[in-house]
Order: sequence, then structure tokens, then C-alpha cells
Amino acid sequence: MLNFDLTPEQKEIHRLARQFTAEQIIPRAAEWDRTETFPKDMVKAAADIGLLNIGIPEDCGGLGLGVIEEVLIGEELGYGCMGFDTIILASDLAVTPIKIAGTPEQKQRFLPPLVTGLGAFCLSEADNGSDAAAMKTKAEFVGDEIVVTGTKMWITNGGVCEIYVVLCRTDEASGAKGTVCVVIPAGTPGVSHNKLHGKMGQRCSYTAEVIFENVRVPRANMLGGVGDGFKIAMRTLDRTRITVAAGSVGVARRAIDESVKYAKTRHAFGKPISELQAIQFKLADMKMGHDTSRLQTLYAAWLVDTNQPHAQASAIAKCRASDVAFAAAAEAIQIHGGYGYMNDFPVEKLLRDVKLNMIYEGTNEIQRVVVGRSLFR
Amino acid sequence: MKICTVLKQVPDAEASIRTAGDRVDLTGVTFVMDGMDEYGVEEAIRLREAGHQAEIFTLALGPKRFEEAIRTSLALGSDRAIHIETTDVLDVVTQARVLAAAVRQEGADLVLVGGKQADWDSSAFGPALAEALGWPHLDWTTRLAITGTAVEATHDTDAGTETVRFSLPAVITTQQGLNEPRYPTLPNIMKAKRKELRKAVPADYQAPAPLTQVGGEVIQVKARLNKLFTGEAVETAAQLVGALRDEAKVI
Repeated sequence: MLNFDLTPEQKEIHRLARQFTAEQIIPRAAEWDRTETFPKDMVKAAADIGLLNIGIPEDCGGLGLGVIEEVLIGEELGYGCMGFDTIILASDLAVTPIKIAGTPEQKQRFLPPLVTGLGAFCLSEADNGSDAAAMKTKAEFVGDEIVVTGTKMWITNGGVCEIYVVLCRTDEASGAKGTVCVVIPAGTPGVSHNKLHGKMGQRCSYTAEVIFENVRVPRANMLGGVGDGFKIAMRTLDRTRITVAAGSVGVARRAIDESVKYAKTRHAFGKPISELQAIQFKLADMKMGHDTSRLQTLYAAWLVDTNQPHAQASAIAKCRASDVAFAAAAEAIQIHGGYGYMNDFPVEKLLRDVKLNMIYEGTNEIQRVVVGRSLFR
Repeated sequence: MKICTVLKQVPDAEASIRTAGDRVDLTGVTFVMDGMDEYGVEEAIRLREAGHQAEIFTLALGPKRFEEAIRTSLALGSDRAIHIETTDVLDVVTQARVLAAAVRQEGADLVLVGGKQADWDSSAFGPALAEALGWPHLDWTTRLAITGTAVEATHDTDAGTETVRFSLPAVITTQQGLNEPRYPTLPNIMKAKRKELRKAVPADYQAPAPLTQVGGEVIQVKARLNKLFTGEAVETAAQLVGALRDEAKVI
């Protein structure tokens, strides 16, 4: 049985996200971008209506919703501002490892504050990103405690979150086998951050360098066991990169909508440029890219929600949707001509914002490695 | 107190509407609760939040797709809903008679409904419903205060505003300025799943035969003339003035 229907509740969530985006995000996104402002009030407003961390299980005070719902919200937020969407989806990056690897006690302890608060996931470091097993941040076991020392880089929500989920290595084994995943509450002594300035896009999301200096937390804050860190990180990303795809789908749709609107009003050679086949072909390609990547994104989300293997499908969705959205944003600028290059129009921001979608949560090169390898297994 | 909010579902104001022949083509259009009706739902919730012991129910007459707007009202805070499903195009007075029968059957002290419906734009539904119920009615309400069964409300008039007093039961039509509707929240959207959405048909309410029937429709399409005046500025200005005076008759 194949069925593309959404449930009444999913439709309602989708409608709410669209309305919230149209009324609250779109009118403010350009200003946030120009001034590099983290929209604290609007993040709270989103949390107040329940758009934040919707996957937290009901017994931990959350809604227990699935990735399909996250995709529906993500594509709408991404349509309005990919940076804002990143604040929300990066928070889910901290929720997911606790959900998939936490004990019932750990879930009860760590998830309730995230119903309204942000989380941050700390994997990348200055010298390693895609080669996550090469991380240097150290975890030492001292009695009943874990002592964490190291610096994490490009951490979304670093400095504005309630908890950090930190990937570190121990001396107990080399490579991925020595990795651990530790939950560190934001107020723990020894945790500090520096906000990073000068990002190309997604300038409203708060990105920081997060420093852990002899940070001591109970051993009970470790998710899984020694050697599980890398696996937990990979399983997390297999799931969360679907929401990166969703945001990209939103950006692509915005590029199409803005271009259609502009092409109908801009005249050249005595008629609207929308009547020129050169413009129509560009828009046709944008639409084909959008629709096919949206289907793949929802498919990957459905695989997660129905407990099926999804690593390959999510890699395809993330890589495809972000490539497509970047291309669509570039074409939107081209269709807008000189205006498209100016920040008076929203399309140049789409390109700057969505470039990051090709980089974070595993570069698109890594996605191709995942898909390529899966063909030979 | 029982508060009834009546709503319609209409195309999203953001939606681009296409025409196909002699009718509007609504395929692929996103529908939402009529914004005017939303003020009514919001006001009902605010009355309850202000301390009135109130049951709020939603009433809607229209095709199956109205369900989505009804669910929005349940997610916003309405307790239950009755959807009188029909695909028939009913005139406003007939709609009011059907819904009046439903209001009587359910029992209500206050009916809140949008001042006009974004799709029909007649402004007649609220007054017609009050007429059918034999209740007092106030249209285009911008402020509402209820103490017991005493109502004091302000509404717009051509010259400004007017504040009037009357007793429940009553029908009040709403408009912009009455309140700022809230967003439904995700938890409430999920809770709304368990609320009652009862289905009915017009015949359940002894629906009278329509008073009027639509004999035909023509969609007004506005197109530019794309007339260009070329030549010397003084000459083309004179041509423009001539066209505005003699053809467009606007000066």
C-alpha cells in the first residue's frame, strides 16, 4: 500500500509551521542576517508553540513525534530562514543521541529541560570534522567522574543551550574504539565559549567555539559505554541529516517562489520574462530538483519512523536536497539579475545560507562516500 | 455558558487563485480557517480564560475539506465540533436557518462568527443567523465584555464606533481589532485528536429548500490594455489626458 497522505495532525502541524514562518520569521530574517542577531525571543516563541525538540518522548514531557513531523516543520522554517531552522534542528542533534543511547534514567534526567531549551551537539574540532574518529577532546575517568578537556569548533547553539552532548576520546583504545559520548550541562564549571563571527550565511544561528577545561561530570552522564561514542554520533547523524534535507527543500521552494513572483513582473523585450523559455527551463529544473528531493526526504523520514534501515536514504536526501537547493538559489539570483545580487531581495541570502547545508552534519562528499560504499557491501 | 463559534474554511490569502472557464479552480490551493472567524474562536477562548465557565463548540457547514479548519479550532481550544457536511451551494439565509437549528439543538448562549466570510463576502450570515434564532445581534464587534448575561460591546459604524448593551443569548460578529488570535500549539494539536468531531448532514436539521439558486457565474478578469503612447512628451501627455478623460472617464 502506497500512500502520500498526511494525517490530520501532520497537516495541522505543517500549517502552523507555515503560518509561524510567514508571520514571524520572514519579516525579520533579513535584519537578523544583517546584524548577526540570535533571535532569542523568536526561539522562545517557537518553543512556546511546541516547535522545538518535538521528538522528546511523551514520558519525558515531550510530544514523541517522529521525523516526518520534523521534516514538515523544517521545510517551512527553512523556507523562511535556514539559519533559524538550524537553531531548531541542531538542538535535535543533542536530543537524538540521548534518545537512541540513553538509559531510561538518563532520558528522565536530560530530556525534560530540552522541551523548552536548546541543546548542542559537539563533534567537530578545529582539525577534524568528517574524520570524526580523529577527535582530540579527551575524557578521563577519575573515580566516579569523567573529566573532559578539549575545544570543539563550529558548535551550533554553543553558548545558548541547556546541555552539550560531547564526543570525546579516552586512552583506553585508539580510533573510534576509544570514543565516548558525554552529556555536559551548560552551567558546569570549566565550560566556556567564544561566539564565532563572520559567517557567510545562517548568520542568526549562534555558532561558537566551545571550550571544556577539566570539566567534571558524573560517570552516569556517559551515553552508552566506552567505544560507543563514534557509533552514537554516526547513528545520530544518520537520522538528523534528514532535517538538513528538509530545510534545504524549504530553501529550494523559496527560490522557486521568489523567482516565479519576480519573473511575472519583470519585463524584457516587451513581455514578462516568465514567458521566456530560458527562464521557464531554469524554473522547471528548480521544480524538478525540489519535488524529487522532497520525496526522498519524506521517504527517509518514513523509514526512521517505521524503524527501518535509513542510513543510505538519509545520505541521499541530505546530499541531493542541499545540492539542489544551492543550485536553485544560484538560479534564483540569475533570474533576478542585478537585483538578485543585492540584499534588498531575499535570494542572495538563500545561497549564502544553504551553502552550509552542503557542509554540516557530514559534508556532501561524505554522503557520497556513504552511498558509494553501501553499493559494494 | 455555552459558546458556539461558527466557521468557514477559505483559500489561504497567500494562495494564488487560478480560473478555469467560468469558475475558480481550487485544485492545489491551501485552505485555512477564515481569518474573521478566527477572531471568534480566539474571543471564545479568552472569555473562558477570563473566568467564564464556558463550553466552547465549533459549528461548520460545508464540504469535507472544512474538517481541517475545524481541527484548527479544536487545536486552538474549542472543546468539540459538529460538521454539517454538504457540497451544496446554499444561500446565506438558508445556511443561517440550518445552523440556527443546530445552535438550538446544542443549546448556546453566545454565537461568535466572522463579520463576513472571505469567500462570499456578504456580511449577511451573522445577522441572518440572529434573525433565524430571534436573538439580538451586533456586527463588526471590536470589544466585548460579558457580566452574567449582560453584554456590553463596541462595534464600528460608518461615523465611528458605538457601544451597545444587550442580553444573552446573542449573535456577535467579529472583525480585526477584537483580539490577536494565538497560534495553536503542537501539544494542543495532538490533544485535539481526541476531541469529538461529530458529523451531520443538513437534513438532520430539517434544512429548508434554498431560497435562491445560482443560475450562472461569470468571473471578472481584469486585464491591462497595454496601451503605449509614443512621440514627443507634450504630445503623449495630451494623448494620455485624452484617454483618461474620454475612454477611462476618470478625470
